[in-house]
Amino acid sequence: MAVLTQKKPTTILEKLNDETWRRKFIRNVLIPWLFIAPLLILHIYVVTVPAVQGIYMSMTDWKGVGRNANFIGLENYRELFFEDETFGKALGNNIIWMIFFLTVPFILALFAATMLSQIKRGGMIYRSILFIPYVLASVVTITIWKNLLNPQRGIGAALDKMLGLEGAFGIAYLGRPESALMSIAFIDNWHFWGFLMILFLAAMQAIPPVLYDAAKIDGANRWQEFRHVTLPGIRPVVLFMFMMVAIWSFLAFDYIFLSTQGGPGGASEVIATLLYKNAFFRFEAGYGAAMGVVISIFAGFIIMIFVTLRRRGWDI
Amino acid sequence: MKHIKILFAIAVLVMALAPAGAQDVTTVSMWFSEGSTLDCWGPLMLEFNDIDPSIQLEIVPQADTWNVTRTAVAGGGGPDIVRTPGPSFVYEMAQAGLILPMDAFADEMGWGDFFFDWALDLGLVDGQLYSLSDELETLVMYYNVEVFEEHGWTPPDTMEELNALAEEVEAAGLTVFSHGNASWRPTNEHFVGEYWTQVAGPHKVYQALSGEIPWTDESLVEAIELLDAHMQAGWYGGGVDLYFTNDGVYRRTSLAEGSAAMNIEGSWAIRGTVDYFGESGMTWDWVPVPSHDGTDYFTIGMGNTSSINANSPHPEAAAQFLTWYFSPATQGKMLTNCLKGPAPVAIGEDVLGALDPRIARIYAALSDASANDRYGYTTWTFWPPKSDVYIYEEIERVWTGEITAMEYSEGLQELFAEELAAGDIPPIPTR
Repeated sequence: MAVLTQKKPTTILEKLNDETWRRKFIRNVLIPWLFIAPLLILHIYVVTVPAVQGIYMSMTDWKGVGRNANFIGLENYRELFFEDETFGKALGNNIIWMIFFLTVPFILALFAATMLSQIKRGGMIYRSILFIPYVLASVVTITIWKNLLNPQRGIGAALDKMLGLEGAFGIAYLGRPESALMSIAFIDNWHFWGFLMILFLAAMQAIPPVLYDAAKIDGANRWQEFRHVTLPGIRPVVLFMFMMVAIWSFLAFDYIFLSTQGGPGGASEVIATLLYKNAFFRFEAGYGAAMGVVISIFAGFIIMIFVTLRRRGWDI
Repeated sequence: MKHIKILFAIAVLVMALAPAGAQDVTTVSMWFSEGSTLDCWGPLMLEFNDIDPSIQLEIVPQADTWNVTRTAVAGGGGPDIVRTPGPSFVYEMAQAGLILPMDAFADEMGWGDFFFDWALDLGLVDGQLYSLSDELETLVMYYNVEVFEEHGWTPPDTMEELNALAEEVEAAGLTVFSHGNASWRPTNEHFVGEYWTQVAGPHKVYQALSGEIPWTDESLVEAIELLDAHMQAGWYGGGVDLYFTNDGVYRRTSLAEGSAAMNIEGSWAIRGTVDYFGESGMTWDWVPVPSHDGTDYFTIGMGNTSSINANSPHPEAAAQFLTWYFSPATQGKMLTNCLKGPAPVAIGEDVLGALDPRIARIYAALSDASANDRYGYTTWTFWPPKSDVYIYEEIERVWTGEITAMEYSEGLQELFAEELAAGDIPPIPTR
């Protein structure tokens, strides 16, 4: 009876005096927070604080040297969107880059993963061979391909020599404005698509075999199996990678900087290379920070699309 | 009793060693890029430690030295000696109060006695000395002697002679200049700077740098048009697209092996030239870059600068190291042993006499040019940062036919005027 009439603690003092409440609080609140605290503090120190500083810096005329930074409001953003032609061009290149990476590697990876999922023996060898480029450092990949695409000593030149042609294949792919960006995308994709393939393959292997058996019984052909069993089965992975690749497309830097540094004539310039040049070569660190914030906004926008789709019931 | 004896012995030992311990050793730190340069320079710089045991130099190898240095210095740390890639970088650091004015040290330690007057002026920011320039550079035209002899060619003095020679070189199936920017895109600015100086003349460039005339001045635009014409003719690396894919190895091997006739490059390339020609067994030599009227103009550049960190606990010791390092004796030794571009100091005839005569001739010619008003300006030393980046990035749009030489010059003028108005122009030696 006494238990039934016991009043639940409501004020902080009452709660602190209540043994049960105190134990619950320690177990459910305090201890989890204590466990997470080191990581949280580290995160605040190395991510949150610099991110907030970056947003502030994007509204200053900071040169990247010293501490002199005058607050100039949204001036950097105004210049970025309404005056700087190179930014518009770089943004356009980022979008081309994103379209390329949302199509070519996905098609290649889906095709290869489907083929490999049907191999019963020796599949590991193929997987390893196709995955190896992914573990190579970007500097190594670029060095290999810069030599292979060299118009005088690369594979194009060798083909020309073999076929008795002159300048048919030995073209300066990285040296021509019309082909530079796509050539770098090709190189990056050579390194990247094997990673996608492995992810898709792993997802395919998680699909219950009975679904394929049922499809076969229903008279489905290979394409119908892929369309109605495989694709729905790996859809969460494919869509998640769609989101990640879209975000990564705005962060593209290393392959471009190592191969053409944005040239020739800005033909392969993207926002990240432009940001780097502004921050470190032109002493426009505040302006570079504004570009960084814009990249983050784009990434946030992409995430928002996917979150919205998920809320609407998409299986992502 | 035994313990007392031991304690006594220890006490005596401590007392005996006390004077040595009491003598403070001041360590002067310097950050330096890892690699072959440090391998040669390092041991020579550490000879400083033999002079005065109370001041010791510590060299800390770093990757991406400049970015690491400026981050550390801005954060209140960094080395005692702050090295920057050029005077325009010094300006920003001095404005931010990150480096010390060194006028008092210059007077006390007599830096004016061995530095050229104009060279000390390069380190001035708002009338105070903040840096000492190092690695004096210029650009010359290297050529393959055997190739020239085989075809009976003589190195050109004027742009007109260069035109005639280029036709012959191309007719012989060779590339005129072994060039490309795939390894280092700012290579572009070497040619822009040279054509301004050699075609329009250094006085015009000086006027433009001082804001007296715009970069759209007819003679300066003509220089850009001529460079573009030469680029379109395939003189540079065999064609515009090839130029963008030719790397540093191509540049050196094609000249050293004789598939290219010439190469306009800096004095910093001597070491590589010597190595590559050593391997090919052919002979190199150089002449001044041809000019419109045959006058030998030499553009002056600085590879880097040294300053004293405002956070240094012992600036006096740092200044003593700088005095030793920039002395003609040390610079001469580094030039002889490592082919290091010397600081702009008066190096003795005896040092130059011990060098390969071709190398000695470059520095003698540069010295003569600077004394006789025949010197020009390298873009990376005398142009403000935004204009400098514009010069080497946007010239590619001229070469790829996206914009004209005049549009390029107008864009530069707009940017340069902004930087001039903001007072961001590095010090320019007055003529």
